[in-house]
Amino acid sequence: MPEDPDLPLAFLTAGQAEAYLDGACVAILRTREEMEHWLREPAPGVEWLQVEGLIGDPEVWAVAAQGDIDIPLDVVLDDPATEFSSLYRLVDVRLARSVRLTMPAKPGLMKGLRMAASLNLAVRILPGQPDPATLEELGLAAEFYLHDSMVESPIEFFHSLLALFRGKAEGTLWSFLEQDPATYSHRDPDGKPLRPVDFVESHLAALIESAAECESCRWQSACAGYFKSPDPSYDCAGVKQLLATIEEAANEIGSEIASQEVAPSA
Amino acid sequence: MSNRVFSVILLPTAECNVACDYCFEHKEPHRLSMVLVPLLTRQLLDHLEHEGIEECEIYWQGGEAMIMGPDWYVEAGKIMDSAAEARGRRFTHYLQTNLISYSPAWDDVLRSMFGSSLGTSMDFPNLHRKLFKGGAEAYSSVWTKRLHEAQAAGHEIGVIAVLHKGSLEAGADAFYRYYTEELGLTSFQVNTPFPGGPAKEIEDEFDLDQDELASFLVELFDIWMERGHAQGVALGPFDALVHHFSGESARLPCIWKENCSNQFISVDSKGTVAQCDCWVTSYPESFFGNVFREPDLTAMLRKSPARREFVERPKHLVEHEDCLSCRFLSICHGGCPVRTYSALGTMLAKDPYCEVYKAVFGRAEHHGRTLLRQRHAEGKKPSGSAPGPGSMTTAATP
Repeated sequence: MPEDPDLPLAFLTAGQAEAYLDGACVAILRTREEMEHWLREPAPGVEWLQVEGLIGDPEVWAVAAQGDIDIPLDVVLDDPATEFSSLYRLVDVRLARSVRLTMPAKPGLMKGLRMAASLNLAVRILPGQPDPATLEELGLAAEFYLHDSMVESPIEFFHSLLALFRGKAEGTLWSFLEQDPATYSHRDPDGKPLRPVDFVESHLAALIESAAECESCRWQSACAGYFKSPDPSYDCAGVKQLLATIEEAANEIGSEIASQEVAPSA
Repeated sequence: MSNRVFSVILLPTAECNVACDYCFEHKEPHRLSMVLVPLLTRQLLDHLEHEGIEECEIYWQGGEAMIMGPDWYVEAGKIMDSAAEARGRRFTHYLQTNLISYSPAWDDVLRSMFGSSLGTSMDFPNLHRKLFKGGAEAYSSVWTKRLHEAQAAGHEIGVIAVLHKGSLEAGADAFYRYYTEELGLTSFQVNTPFPGGPAKEIEDEFDLDQDELASFLVELFDIWMERGHAQGVALGPFDALVHHFSGESARLPCIWKENCSNQFISVDSKGTVAQCDCWVTSYPESFFGNVFREPDLTAMLRKSPARREFVERPKHLVEHEDCLSCRFLSICHGGCPVRTYSALGTMLAKDPYCEVYKAVFGRAEHHGRTLLRQRHAEGKKPSGSAPGPGSMTTAATP
């Protein structure tokens, strides 16, 4: 069956990905055997491998550092507070193929971010609906991304939000975090999409209709109700402050660039 | 094929023709037999193939590497390079020598095998590098003569200087002038000393006060930036650090690699494999195995309990030391295992020169940022600048 370029990228288990013929997909790997197989023989439509729960297995990463097939990896951490030091196992892997880390926002996130930055690895932080302790950690993470000179690789979602606020990118948090079903189709164990392709649109419309704080929120176009899912009653005060910090940095960059453009002719 | 490069510090002999006070090597009269070169080559090529690595850098050292004679290298190089070519790999050869036995007889092989480039060592002032007869003064005289002869023959010479108390007493200005003005060098590097191997009385000379050493290096850094950097003088490791902090691609020295165990090994004339020349010549308890007795180098490296400690060291440091909170972690990773081991008796601690490195990194950051601002003002772009918030890409998909 020919691939349909308009179909969203499907996130599939290794078994599902083997048989998937409808378009591009991401194979989710959870065992050493799956890794060895997919690194050696990735199916043609696979865009990258999402590796879950394997950061503690040194053998997996010794294998991933070898080979001629440059298929990218998204290495998912469960708990950056305890797994951060294992990122040293990716030192050689990143020379053989592209590596991106995905980590949940939770206490201890900064350990994972510092370690990732020291190894020049890109990161995607999944914020979920952060509690006060996690918000504090996210605030530190944003400061680290924005102001620490040692950070050279992107840290999402900060990176794309900064670009958005600078007018250099389009999208919402859903797309920046690869969770917009219109583009990224996450599946259940049976391979069925977890959410309809128009989920973001209908989710936001429902929030506005129910007079949630999204209705008058100045971050609505960037957030699109991201922080109101799954619990629509989540209090966004903390995340609004976080978004304001990033916007402020974007404005500072804009002002600085503008002043430098004006300076030569002044 | 990956971008990884594997390096081997290869010691074809443990013999040496000089008598330096501080040498930690066990100098026995043993040489690598030409008969074993094909086996060594096959083991290395098997390992490269298994790891998906195309290039292997061979750093020929000793003992004194030139004791083997130029003809030996011609033959060894031919065996190694032809075997590599047949398997789609390549060896790149480098030579580190004390230069004492250099003569024009070396010129052909230096050109054909080593790209007319070689590394040597000299300290300032030279108090400890000695000939068997004539001592340090005679050594300096012969070495300087050989240096100039090799330079006249068109070879590029890089010099390593190991700092000692006399260097700090002489001061950074005199030190810099010796290498650049008196010797006419355009490439040299400074190494911090460490007491490898069994303890000796002379080690006091190399037990440097950390504050004094840091001050010396910072002053030397400033002198180089003022007088040498823009004039094309390469002074390691400062040059790599300035590249790093000014957004250019940089190859930092092995002491600051993320994990040296991933990137090189050392093999001596008997086939002993260890982490680097410092380990293979000094610490039998840390040997990985023997490349002539074991059938598979890759398996040896993977299974060696001694190597496991090297592999896990950086992980241990960020868990147990204060490295994770250090703003220079990305360019240090806890420093050198052998410097740590020789000073503390364990490698599972951060490098004892930690505070010295921080002082040097801080100075490098200052100079690198200044260069960046200058380039920006002049409208120039650094080569190979790293991505970051300023690059404004969107989502960081893998």
